[in-house]
Amino acid sequence: MNLLLTISFSSVASGIHNWLVSTIPNELLAKSVEMVIAGICLLLFLVPLCFILGYMERKVAGFMQMRYGPNRVGPYGSLQIVADTVKLVMKEGLTPTGSDKFLFNLAPVIMVVTCMLVLAPIAFAKDFQIWDINIGVLYVSAISSLAVIGILMAGWSSYNKYSLLGAMRSGAQIVSYELSVGLSLISIVILTGSLKMSDIVMSQETGWWIIRGHIPVIISFVIFVIASTAEINRAPFDLAEAEQELTAGFHTEYAGMKFAMFLLAEYINLFIVSAIAATLFLGGWMPFHIGHWQEFNHIMDFVPSSLWFLGKTFFIIFIIMQFRWTFPRLRVDQLLTLEWKYLLPISMVNTILVTVMAIMGWHF
Amino acid sequence: MSPSTIIFYLLAAVIIGGALMAVTSLKIFRSAVFLLFSLIGIAGLYFYLDYEFIAAVQVIVYVGGIVVLIIFSIFLTHGSGEDMKRPHWIRAVYSALAAAFGCILTMFYISQYTFTTSGKPAVEPSAGNIGAQMLSTTGHGYILPFEVVSMLLLAAMIGCIVIAIKVKIPPHELLAEKTDNDSMEMTEPILANTQTEI
Amino acid sequence: MFLTDYIRTVYKGVRSLLTGMKTTGYYFTHARKEIKTEEYPDNRATLTMFDRFKGEVVMPHDENNEHRCTGCQACEIACPNGTIKIITKQELQPDGKKKKAIDTFVYHLELCTMCNLCVVACPSDAIKMAQTFEHSVYDKKQLKKVLNNPGSKIMEGVE
Repeated sequence: MNLLLTISFSSVASGIHNWLVSTIPNELLAKSVEMVIAGICLLLFLVPLCFILGYMERKVAGFMQMRYGPNRVGPYGSLQIVADTVKLVMKEGLTPTGSDKFLFNLAPVIMVVTCMLVLAPIAFAKDFQIWDINIGVLYVSAISSLAVIGILMAGWSSYNKYSLLGAMRSGAQIVSYELSVGLSLISIVILTGSLKMSDIVMSQETGWWIIRGHIPVIISFVIFVIASTAEINRAPFDLAEAEQELTAGFHTEYAGMKFAMFLLAEYINLFIVSAIAATLFLGGWMPFHIGHWQEFNHIMDFVPSSLWFLGKTFFIIFIIMQFRWTFPRLRVDQLLTLEWKYLLPISMVNTILVTVMAIMGWHF
Repeated sequence: MSPSTIIFYLLAAVIIGGALMAVTSLKIFRSAVFLLFSLIGIAGLYFYLDYEFIAAVQVIVYVGGIVVLIIFSIFLTHGSGEDMKRPHWIRAVYSALAAAFGCILTMFYISQYTFTTSGKPAVEPSAGNIGAQMLSTTGHGYILPFEVVSMLLLAAMIGCIVIAIKVKIPPHELLAEKTDNDSMEMTEPILANTQTEI
Repeated sequence: MFLTDYIRTVYKGVRSLLTGMKTTGYYFTHARKEIKTEEYPDNRATLTMFDRFKGEVVMPHDENNEHRCTGCQACEIACPNGTIKIITKQELQPDGKKKKAIDTFVYHLELCTMCNLCVVACPSDAIKMAQTFEHSVYDKKQLKKVLNNPGSKIMEGVE
């Protein structure tokens, strides 16, 4: 039992690191091997994650619409998503005539690569993250702005008016909602005084920001969740792929493996957004602590940090899924009104509030 | 050749290759995408120098902002899907000469300058340090340029609002305008409406 | 004034969104109670269709093999797409008078849209809608049905 408690992701990672450094004499080679191992681990984590998210999405949708969801393949329909993946992989990867073939094939790759890059600074457990870069939050918002290029590229190169319209819409949407996302991230950066993910998590040792920062942080949390739902093109902001108007928007022409890559990118983006919200507002892997009440905090520490992180992340994923199955899709003008007339002014005022609060020390 | 040099040459190849392809490609959208690769390569160069802050800013401003803006304007341009005409060879020669001149001039001045190494320990380029330096009023502070740029951006923002604002036409003027039928099409509020409906 | 309006809009918006989320949240947490799905092939033995379901037109006969159809052809006229064809005959009454009666009541299920107009038009309630729905067959000819049983006759007292 004692042994089990001491095993954590960070000890396994540092063990592998030490073993590699001691067995491989060339430092560069050791580092490259470590990077490859990290990449493979990430893939081994992401593919099952996408299966779980796909299954979860269908079940949540089913229950919220008074249906069962998938319940034929495997126990409780849990293998349905595997069957769907096999079907997608077996399909022919079409490239339509008249399309720009180079860009058409490049777009899904860009989408997936961008997602993978954003995963680097996310802390999955205590001392367990790929790259603790000192500008963590800024890095995340910088790289995630690349995703819009993939969408624009896919829309343009498909040689299809629906794709082009979808790409245009999603471009306008992502560019405008990036502002509110940035401003709501800044409120936590102001309170923490650092952009580094590990610093942000450590600053929540005496309580998560959403509790310590009370009203202003709750407002920026709500704004972050709404704006990032728009950023990842999920319903009710799925204008870029509005089925009823644009068939499937920017990925109308994609089939088979390339379509699967878009799907993969969509689910990884969902995970990333939820993970960032969990890290910034709900303390990441930090267990639920109340101030300096040592006994209580110590009891909470018995739950592994990775479980805390995944629990919070899946809670936010669930909320975003509930958005999708509750709210009707916005019109384009309503979408822009929501951002420019409501979210942006509110988050600007809120940033000032947070700054005043941080200076005066009005948080717990 | 050390691995660090290999990475440097790879990045340089991406930057120069992307730039050349951007200039020589006949499809305007492809040019924009190659420009994007070139700019990402520059961001990679900053990462290579361990200067992450500038790298992230490079990505946000150039890739997320300017290239997206360029692509948007390409989308809105008429006939942008067709191949462009090949430029006249004299133009190509002149622009190559101009580029070469700029390149030689820069390299000449760089070779003239003797870079001195400082004995001081390196300052960590964290957000806190950069912010403090940006707003410091001492000799090496950047408060003046920072504020000037802020004023410029504020002016640009106000200008945007003034252009985009919806002018309410009083009902009697609207009636007067209805008599001359065609001029209605081009009045300002209608233009403002079309801008929001992308 | 402007500010209060603005805040009121935001408040109303947030409240209505939360109401929606409460509803879906209730459905999610009470899934076992709320799910309405009929798992059709599995519950075939116990499945009962709802009252208003219209599957096909049938002509009920009583135990004496008697129906209520007078052969007035009101249903044939009422049908918008010619689903019903009634072939009539002249039947000799016991008192020596001839009377119109049906020979065959032909019903083309493949043309029927279950619009219920024939049932509404019938003056003597001779036909009604049944709740069957497993209609698929291998041959189109099997969809042409004769509704009156062989040897049946009209019920006493139905005019």
